[in-house]
Amino acid sequence: MDTIETFIEKFTEAVDFQEPVELTADTELLTLPEWDSLAALGVIVMCDMEYSKTITGNDLVKCVVLNDIYKLTS
Amino acid sequence: MSQSTLKNVKYVGMTTCVPKRILSNIDDCPPHMQSERERLVRNIGISHRRICSEWQCFSDLAFVATEKLLEEIGWQKEDVEALIVVTQSPDYLIPATAIILQDRLKLTKTTIAFDVNLGCSGYPFALYILGCMISAGTIKKGLVLVGDKCATVIDPLFSDAGTATALEYDPSAPPMYFDLNSDGSGYQAIMLPVGGHRQPTAVHHLVPHKDENGNWRTEAGLILDGPAVLSFSTQQIPPAVNSLLEYSGYDKDKIDYFLFHQANRMINETIRKKLGLTPEKVPMTLHDFGNTSGASIPVTMTARIREALESGHNTLLLSGFGIGLSWGSCVIEIEGAKFPELIEA
Repeated sequence: MDTIETFIEKFTEAVDFQEPVELTADTELLTLPEWDSLAALGVIVMCDMEYSKTITGNDLVKCVVLNDIYKLTS
Repeated sequence: MSQSTLKNVKYVGMTTCVPKRILSNIDDCPPHMQSERERLVRNIGISHRRICSEWQCFSDLAFVATEKLLEEIGWQKEDVEALIVVTQSPDYLIPATAIILQDRLKLTKTTIAFDVNLGCSGYPFALYILGCMISAGTIKKGLVLVGDKCATVIDPLFSDAGTATALEYDPSAPPMYFDLNSDGSGYQAIMLPVGGHRQPTAVHHLVPHKDENGNWRTEAGLILDGPAVLSFSTQQIPPAVNSLLEYSGYDKDKIDYFLFHQANRMINETIRKKLGLTPEKVPMTLHDFGNTSGASIPVTMTARIREALESGHNTLLLSGFGIGLSWGSCVIEIEGAKFPELIEA
């Protein structure tokens, strides 16, 4: 399993932020301007390709902070 | 019966027609959305799309494609015994567009003509349906027209195209191998919920309102569950392709080109990487033509590998997937077939 720091690097690339953002495990997803349907697709692909985890849109809807997605990858 | 083999069917030629009108996903949007659109284009890989003029239907594109194809392959109108149209954008809800085109193309009244309601998965199914009729030998020559009018100015994904493909009976033709599947449990992933008999259009369906993303839409608009479609595509297609390769006996290295439905870059790249294919073996047209529904495989054949297809022997694996949910793949060998240049109408 990746460290949270490595996960955040991959998450940042998957979401494709337009402006640099500071992310921590406790960052609330809804505070991120790019947390939209496109970001969801990127994160689903990341979980599949990087962690061999199949997650759904509903799984992501239930996530509140970044750490919730990190836990899905373990 | 998921996998099957068709013998005696020769792929004679194919033509693609797209509208002249080009939309830019970045330039043709409100200025305040441009930055967001640039991010979108980077991720879905679609820069430009083709959109019909207001008067134009899918059948108008398919008509032009068919006339050109018949001219190129030298068939007479009376040679055509079957005309199958695979579309989800018919001229009218009823009657079938194929029957209208039988008359418009001046084909004989003995032509078997009917429509098939399939979208993004349509091309392999189209080859299979017409191929079955020809393989039996009762029909010697037939046409299948595949495509849709699905572009709108606002939606950045979809693009319009019409295609025509000719198949004929030939006992010396190499076998075609198919893997065709359906899963109606996912029908709500991509659908037009209003306008059919289950939910006829009412006035309130046409009143625009803002959705959760701030976009204006009506209840009569297309529903597309992006995460569900992405998961379906990236989970189902790689094993289906591998299963078809095993069934057909072709080694991956013996396939000259893998042509996938052009869905969006994230889906297509995930499928390509899961299958371990190089970009050179997987031609793409998303950047210039967007998602042209069932036409996207033939659009890619015409726009990217037309000259290679005309110049020698090629073994292709075609794979379409999407609305239904429905997915189909086939392995076909092509040699000596005609592929006219892309037509703009």
